[in-house]
Amino acid sequence: MDTLSLMGAGFLHAMSPLNLFAMALATAVGVTIGCLPGLSAAMGVALLLPVTFGMDPATGLIILGGIYCGAIFGGSISAILIHTPGTPASAATAIEGYQLTLKGEAARALTVACLASFCGGLLSCISLYFFSPPLAQLAMKFKSPEYFWLSLFGLTIIAGVSSKSMLKGLMSGVLGLLISTVGMDPMEGVPRFMFGQSALYNGVDVTCALIGLFSMSQVLMLAERKIRARPAATKFKNKFALSFPEIRRLSPTIIRSWIIGNIIGILPGAGASIACFLGYNEARRFSRHREEFGKGSIEGVAGSEAANNAVTGGSLIPMLTLGIPGESVTAVLMGGLIIQGLQPGPELFTTYAGMTYTFFAGFVLVQFFMLGIGMLGCKGFAQISRLSDAILIPSIFLLCVVGSYAIHNNVVEVVIMLIFGGIGYLARKFDMNATAIVLGLILGPIGERGLRRSLLLSDGDPSILFSTPLCWALIALCALGLLSPLLMGRMERKIAGKAAAPSDRA
Amino acid sequence: MTRSDIGTITIIYATCALFLYLALQLKAAAQIYPLCLISGLAILNTLYLLRCLWRMYSPASKMRQLINDLPEVFSGFVPLQFFFVVFGAIAYLVLLHYLGFYIAGAIYLVCTLLGLKVRPLPLACTVIVMGALIYGVFTLFLKVPLPGGVLFS
Repeated sequence: MDTLSLMGAGFLHAMSPLNLFAMALATAVGVTIGCLPGLSAAMGVALLLPVTFGMDPATGLIILGGIYCGAIFGGSISAILIHTPGTPASAATAIEGYQLTLKGEAARALTVACLASFCGGLLSCISLYFFSPPLAQLAMKFKSPEYFWLSLFGLTIIAGVSSKSMLKGLMSGVLGLLISTVGMDPMEGVPRFMFGQSALYNGVDVTCALIGLFSMSQVLMLAERKIRARPAATKFKNKFALSFPEIRRLSPTIIRSWIIGNIIGILPGAGASIACFLGYNEARRFSRHREEFGKGSIEGVAGSEAANNAVTGGSLIPMLTLGIPGESVTAVLMGGLIIQGLQPGPELFTTYAGMTYTFFAGFVLVQFFMLGIGMLGCKGFAQISRLSDAILIPSIFLLCVVGSYAIHNNVVEVVIMLIFGGIGYLARKFDMNATAIVLGLILGPIGERGLRRSLLLSDGDPSILFSTPLCWALIALCALGLLSPLLMGRMERKIAGKAAAPSDRA
Repeated sequence: MTRSDIGTITIIYATCALFLYLALQLKAAAQIYPLCLISGLAILNTLYLLRCLWRMYSPASKMRQLINDLPEVFSGFVPLQFFFVVFGAIAYLVLLHYLGFYIAGAIYLVCTLLGLKVRPLPLACTVIVMGALIYGVFTLFLKVPLPGGVLFS
């Protein structure tokens, strides 16, 4: 079947009543999670991962995609209304969005955020459709040695880029690799580090680890600080609408931010939190109304929101084709794929192409649901964003327990989740990298299989790991991954510094 | 060098030691891969330790002493509330074993919400909504047999 037929079939499947209902519900849940300050998109996706177990893989992935997109947009609601970004991805939105709220233009700011998020997300799907298949074709050439280097590349770039200290990031990654060795040895067939627990026969369950590292650790983070009442959301004085000249004024900003967000999304390690500042900064640089920045600029809101939502589609590309998640949410989404018995890589575009294109189509449709739910439900979400941490703490904990139990109906998994919750909490406190630990867990078996199979094929000769040009290309990428923290750190400081400047002046 | 650095380095060395002890119990062929990873982790940790020491003792360093950054790392930490939540979670797991998921869950929610000073109306709403949500999603939709508890089985 050619790509166009697959795309058409994908839309037909995605538009089944069940899938449409799942999209609406998942997007609403995502927006709710996103608008609650302190809860991240990764946490939301990890928490609801077990709900997708019994579902058709495409429906399950559409739900996770809906939560992802919804949460990234939802973060802007609390950022605009109460000056508290729901997710780090909306940090730049808070700068201009809250200024607009103070001027009594909250509804206008939310409309801009909604429209920009929709456009950014929708346009990012274009790159998802067009860049994924060629990258998957390239992945078809990979054999055992390449898979070993690929897993190492994924780990080096994430560990290096997303930590304050590269050494700590790498340590987190290797710790994840070490934890991934728990279970049966794939070559020798002997139990490793199982502590007498038969539940660990197949290794540490990735979902349990994800729920623990992202959701349970969040419970502990919320529990450690004093519970305070959140400020009341401002009442809406103006209408949820934009005039045609305003839309025309925002269009170049949205397109610019889409390109920025997409590139940032495709780059492993750089996430929506970087994209929103970059999008905001470029919006200010190119704006004809630069004097409005810092005092409430709709272009600033659009720049940030279009960029962070454009990351969503882009970040799925390396995850689906090469198995390298671009950021924490895509690492969790990858866990969702694995739960369904699917491995990221070329097979998703050959054997499981029907499922993949249904997911892509669902991802497109989710953007429309996000627009509708965002526009219609803003007032309701504004109230939800005030929900107290005192209610969130036990509620999230219960969902963590039931979610991890539901995986194999085993209490041992709940205990494993709690252990990972503790690890995640300590990792956050001591600047280790929870995402790198998860990546180590996910990429560990791929890397181990690649390494040991290669050595088996070459009778223990390690030169097989350097035998093809693709191996060398991946080695070069590993080296680049180790150097990238210097570049990314410099870029992040520069962008954050420039973005903070107008708000300081205000 | 900070106290949190010392904590991190100690925990990583302890993890290496634990895995090393366990790895040495395995048969020779199965030891190689875990030993490579343990060595890698230990080397990275040692590099981190050396970097911390270098920062402390380098000629350019202004702070030639151990910095206590724990107040900063745990700023805003409310011990009573934190340990209340942690021990509540442990107590819930014990209750879960005896009373089953729903009864233990309801007791846990009521006690924790009361402990966190949630008013009666939001408390009742939370218990009802969470119960309905979990029953609807996990028991009815996913058909997960949630633990019934030793006392009721």
